[in-house]
Amino acid sequence: MPGRIDGQDIAIWRGASGQVHAWGDRCPHRGMRLSHGFVRGETLACIYHGWQYDADGGCDHIPAHPNLVPPKTICATTYSCAESDDVIWVALRPTDEKCPSLAGLRGVRSLTIDAAAEQVASHFGQAVNAILRLGTADNITLALQPMDADHCTAHALSDARADRTDVSRWLEHQRRVIEGQPA
Amino acid sequence: MTPEVANHWYPVGMCSGIHGAQATQLLGQSITLGKTGGQFWVRDAGGKALPVIERFGHLWTSPGQPNRDLFTIPEAETPGRRLVDCGSVRVKCSPLRAVENFLDIAHFPFVHTDILGAEPHTEVERYDVDIREEVDEVWATKVKFFQPQAAKSAEGGITTEYMYRVPAPTCAVLYKTCPPRPGEWDVITLFVQPLTEELCEVWPWMALYDDDTPMADLVSFQQMIFMQDRSILENQIPRKLPLDPGMEVPTQADLTSIAYRRWLKRTGYTYGAQVVAA
Repeated sequence: MPGRIDGQDIAIWRGASGQVHAWGDRCPHRGMRLSHGFVRGETLACIYHGWQYDADGGCDHIPAHPNLVPPKTICATTYSCAESDDVIWVALRPTDEKCPSLAGLRGVRSLTIDAAAEQVASHFGQAVNAILRLGTADNITLALQPMDADHCTAHALSDARADRTDVSRWLEHQRRVIEGQPA
Repeated sequence: MTPEVANHWYPVGMCSGIHGAQATQLLGQSITLGKTGGQFWVRDAGGKALPVIERFGHLWTSPGQPNRDLFTIPEAETPGRRLVDCGSVRVKCSPLRAVENFLDIAHFPFVHTDILGAEPHTEVERYDVDIREEVDEVWATKVKFFQPQAAKSAEGGITTEYMYRVPAPTCAVLYKTCPPRPGEWDVITLFVQPLTEELCEVWPWMALYDDDTPMADLVSFQQMIFMQDRSILENQIPRKLPLDPGMEVPTQADLTSIAYRRWLKRTGYTYGAQVVAA
């Protein structure tokens, strides 16, 4: 699936083993978005010409030349990617930091908002951060994905006992307020 | 607009679809075109009359001073062919990306699955490519590919032989094995009208030996193929075609595309191209 972080287009995919990957959303061959591609086992193949990339991002098969071993130089751009407490985390630059802990919470939904991450954080009276704990009764917590200057996605979690529909409606209401639409 | 770009003929409409006056764009400029008293005309934004040619069922014009006639396709003039106007498809991509995709066969098994190609028949054998200096055209010959359903008239899989010709920067002609008539070539063309550098109107046109398939089926077959191509063309990054090596990695199957890019760069045709690697 496609994603966007700080203006960078990302292809996020899960191999058959369950491992998640985040790559630059562009096949080095003809620039096609890899997020349109298809997963086979632990590989992602581009939908345009079927060029196949292994878990490390290296091209290991070019269908037009099935007997050719692709040069090592052909590779997708890879980013650090980890899955933790229902959330997939991506780092555009190498980092030793651990993903923030969201233990005890359960994912509710992901909501794209037509506003910068800073604006969403300030709406909740907080400085921008990877996670915003909103201090509600249900412990609603947002993992914030800054997409670009005008968009972000809030990945919302809450206590496992919370009613997902209620949380979801509350989030949509907040979104309308943030976007300046009639609530 | 440089003369290298302006001095070409461009398709701006299907003759059968032009009645009164209508507005469109060419190379980022507004133009109007129409038919009055049986005569086609095209005017630029300032009202100046632009030259017109009626050929291959389409109306052609130029904002510059073309130093040669619009190309011809003698093969399409042999008797007994059906000339098929396919209408147009608007695509959010560089006109050059649209042409390059038309010159590519390696995508058939993945984009036109079970129609123009299918796994495991993905291999592209070596073919010949040359830039023919005397006519200033790019040609690819001896292109062969296994196809499950090469044309509306094809039954079952066959190895199809192709020739590709690029007679103008935004036009390409495909000569293809003709199932009902071995020894003859079906002609399928792609005429691209550059609206802007990142938006184009694509006019496919065909001259086929096929007396049986209803016209509507021929058109919808071609439209379906092109809709599949559009899902690719609108998702390539960058939208413009990179002419400098480094940004994209070609392989042997891309010899036609390599020659096309080289030819564009050499002739200074940069409209819709990304010249400096980003």
